[in-house]
Amino acid sequence: MKSYTVRDWVYVAVFGALWGALELTLGAYLHVLFPPLADTFFTGLILAGAGAVVALVGRTFVPRPGAVLGIGIVTALLKVLSLGGVKIGPVVAILAEAALMELALLSKASPTRWRYVLAGILAVSWNFFHKFIMMRLLYGQGITEVYVKMIQDGSQTLGMDVTQAVAVIGVLFLFRVAVGAVGGWLAWDLGRLVARRLARA
Amino acid sequence: MTRLRFRLNAGSYLAFLLWGLLLVALLPAGRLGLLLTLVVAFSWLGGGAGLRQVLANRRFWLFVLSTLAIAPFVLGEADVRWGILRLSRTGLEAGLWMALRAATLMLAFSASLGALSVAQMIRLFDGLGLRGLGFALGVALNLGPVLRDTVEAAYHTLRLRGGLRRPVQAARLFLVTVIANGLRYGDDVVQAASARAFDPAARPARVTPILGRADKLFIAGLAAVGVGLVLAP
Repeated sequence: MKSYTVRDWVYVAVFGALWGALELTLGAYLHVLFPPLADTFFTGLILAGAGAVVALVGRTFVPRPGAVLGIGIVTALLKVLSLGGVKIGPVVAILAEAALMELALLSKASPTRWRYVLAGILAVSWNFFHKFIMMRLLYGQGITEVYVKMIQDGSQTLGMDVTQAVAVIGVLFLFRVAVGAVGGWLAWDLGRLVARRLARA
Repeated sequence: MTRLRFRLNAGSYLAFLLWGLLLVALLPAGRLGLLLTLVVAFSWLGGGAGLRQVLANRRFWLFVLSTLAIAPFVLGEADVRWGILRLSRTGLEAGLWMALRAATLMLAFSASLGALSVAQMIRLFDGLGLRGLGFALGVALNLGPVLRDTVEAAYHTLRLRGGLRRPVQAARLFLVTVIANGLRYGDDVVQAASARAFDPAARPARVTPILGRADKLFIAGLAAVGVGLVLAP
């Protein structure tokens, strides 16, 4: 990040602010719309998809390694400084998503649409593991036992086989992969559209 | 009440966060109560803003109380009958430790990062040799009102021209407009920074050290308490 120009840093700030604004405004609305325990499965998914699009469009305008991570750090700090107070979950999610997108774009070759798609998939897929990782981090080993027991009891109550319950979880994961891929695809087009509007293409 | 904040630098708050995370991972369940007391005390001495934010958060209580409510039913063998309910004493105990652990982590996070001001964060980045990131944070914070105006103007322009009848095209136009205008504003900031000869790679003339004498003493104290908590019989 030593080679970044003032323009690069300002653009990192612009996209960090855009992602931060999304988290603070859209996030607040979605938290009201959906019940708290559905956070990861609805709110988190929508916010992760939208955040990935913003960060990846940012990468089009700051074509340097570390740009997406920088955007993620700025977003996470805006979240920390927001009026709602410091919440460990969203901050970890934003940083993890940014790091995963950065990982997908780590190469000296200029990025391609497919790398953007991969970055989107990785970022939104994190949303699937986020709840489990955070719960494990917050509550310790005992939570694993609680989850296993809840899946067993839940599938028994619904008259389903445990393997079917696992299949439902698999479908939820694939849904995230699809949302991430669409996000990456859209970010590639959107970045070019904006560059054309600004006559920088 | 806020004296601690004036004496300690950002490095101490980060050290406290790491200390809290490490101890939550290392300490046996029985000592988590003591750790929670220390975290609450630190937060209170730092002004108590982080503590108040966490305690006023409904989600915090939902997570803590739901763990306490669910654990006796799903963990351990049911050995207590309470009306029609069959509960497990082991499960209740495990739930209590899990809730305590979660509360400690959330409070430690809030008490450390929540106590940092923007200026302290920017000084921290300067101290770490990441001056550009501190600059980006400052620009991003000041961009809020500009973005709000841009979003409002773009939305109302689209609405008044009947753009909302075609939602997909409207969404695309809206996003392109907001991002393009954000970048145009960014160009103004770049010009202003260049006019003032701002160089993100240059080392500032006076860098406040991340750790002062008080910070070093505080961190040594944290280490001593941490070792004591882990090794105490």
